[in-house]
Amino acid sequence: MSVSTTNTTADVAVSARPEASVTPAVRTSRRSARKTRSAAGKAVLVVLLLAFTLFPAFWMLSSAFDSKAGTGGQQLLPREFTLDNFAYVLTEGGFDVFLRNSAIVALVTVLASAVLALLASVAVARFRFKFRTAMLLMILIVQMVPLEALVIPLFVQVRDLQLLNTLLGLMVVYVALSLPFGIWMLRGFVAAVPVELEEAAYLDGASWGRMFRSVMLPLVMPGLVATSVFSFITAWNEFIFAMTLLGGASENYTVAIGLKQFFGEHSNEWGYIMAASTIITIPVMIFFVIVQRRLSSGLVAGAVKG
Amino acid sequence: MTNTLQAPSVAQGAPAPRAAGGPGRTKNLLTRTRPWLLLAPALAVLAVLLLWPLVRVFLFSLQDYGLREIVSGEPNWIGLANFGEIFTSPELYTVVLPNTVGFAVLAVAGTVALGTAVAVLMAALGPFWRTVVGSAIMIAWAMPAVTGTYVWVWIFDADRGIFNETLQALGLQDEPVNWFTNRYTFYAIVLLNVIHHGFPFVAITILAGLLGVPKEMLEAAEMDGAGAWRRFWRIIVPNLKQVFAVVIILSTIWDFKVFAQVYLMPGGAGSNREALNLGVWSYVESFGQNRYGFGSAIAVLLTLVLLAITVVYVRTMLKEDEL
Repeated sequence: MSVSTTNTTADVAVSARPEASVTPAVRTSRRSARKTRSAAGKAVLVVLLLAFTLFPAFWMLSSAFDSKAGTGGQQLLPREFTLDNFAYVLTEGGFDVFLRNSAIVALVTVLASAVLALLASVAVARFRFKFRTAMLLMILIVQMVPLEALVIPLFVQVRDLQLLNTLLGLMVVYVALSLPFGIWMLRGFVAAVPVELEEAAYLDGASWGRMFRSVMLPLVMPGLVATSVFSFITAWNEFIFAMTLLGGASENYTVAIGLKQFFGEHSNEWGYIMAASTIITIPVMIFFVIVQRRLSSGLVAGAVKG
Repeated sequence: MTNTLQAPSVAQGAPAPRAAGGPGRTKNLLTRTRPWLLLAPALAVLAVLLLWPLVRVFLFSLQDYGLREIVSGEPNWIGLANFGEIFTSPELYTVVLPNTVGFAVLAVAGTVALGTAVAVLMAALGPFWRTVVGSAIMIAWAMPAVTGTYVWVWIFDADRGIFNETLQALGLQDEPVNWFTNRYTFYAIVLLNVIHHGFPFVAITILAGLLGVPKEMLEAAEMDGAGAWRRFWRIIVPNLKQVFAVVIILSTIWDFKVFAQVYLMPGGAGSNREALNLGVWSYVESFGQNRYGFGSAIAVLLTLVLLAITVVYVRTMLKEDEL
């Protein structure tokens, strides 16, 4: 019976068997009717799901390429296809500068937090020491702290250091924000490196440092890439701190807060806003695809969301 | 489940310290201090930029901390007066708490329900369509909160948004409605935004768990005449209890602290007081009114709530395996 539930040719085979009585044949045909109905139901659900899931992204793209976006009466596809929105955003809109700022901030954040997180994750994954569990708990708990609570004291702190309105102040904060998750995720990758490989390196006379460079580092590289992508996304998407710490210095804006300027007093330039949003979203999507397989494991193991 | 949902955690048992100790026993001191040397840079950053600020936000919450105090650096202690003001403020009970707690409950329920339904659907699909659906929800997930929020604002825009235009074209309403001025429609849009952005994580996580449920169990139940609904509640849910616990707790933590999704909506940045939630209230009191002490007190309350949920989360994790 379980065979007949898995494919239709088996159904035929079962009902065509001479010794098969009438009842199972009727049952199987009823089964296959139910199966057609369930396949149709599944198709409807998939279509609905795809529509709901993709509509915002689709609408963003459609408006970005529409020269008349925001004038009303918009249809699903752009009425007049144009690249003008992108051209404006990248020149007069100032997104050339914002993109550069965001790229610098993200790059420094990624490099600094990768180094710090790798060293720390080796410590917690490979060594047993006093307060190790306490340390891990602290790392786990500190990720849950709301940014709204950190933004007030960090604003005061960055102000005291006279780093308000600078990218440096922002980078320092982002390194701290992406560090706990980086350590948490990397420690799994470090722990997965077989201890025997380390021992073999020692037997060959390698020092700890040599072992780290030649054995550990190449093996945790995939994890390091995944972690770096997450710090990149954190730095690229972050909004509260950019808004608070960069305040009036619009030449230092990152992309996440650069969008604000297309909002006018009375009307919003939706074509520009959607073109700029597209530009911001694309790198994130690309990086998401790169790490998508590790997403669920890493996130469940303790996570932050943008 | 441990295999599919946890980052690989091999070699954490007994053999680790043996090899990790280093090549020889002679360098005992270096061996003992090495973990701390490795940890030191990260710990320094975390201490200065996360732990000290947490202490400080608590200290600020006990002061009347405004622009004058920021400039002079002189503390102006007022004890628990900020907390007194919060708890006697009628806004807390009529607006902020319902907007925070009520919203979080609905958002978590919606996200987990939709995510689970999508996971069940994906498990029933063939490899091709599963990849298609998986990629589509990945796109919803990858959309940054800021741009995602702007897209929803644009869809529901009062004057030219497609939602209003469609309703008018269908003759369901005569003139455009501003959905952002009413508190309930405002939060309905936030809810849509948060569920749309949050369900992919739940779906992917639960799908990973679903694929780990032994097929024989489900087939046996089907032979015994259990329908799909019963199979879901009697076999899948008990098997994935741990996964559900994790996604529910994480979603709760995330949905309690929605900020950009509210702040970036028209009126969400404090001009519409009906739309405040705990996080936005704290921010606009601090940076809008320069009442950093009062804002800190609100932030401390939000942190305490999240900390309580985090404790539950950590206990769930610890039950599963050793750190």
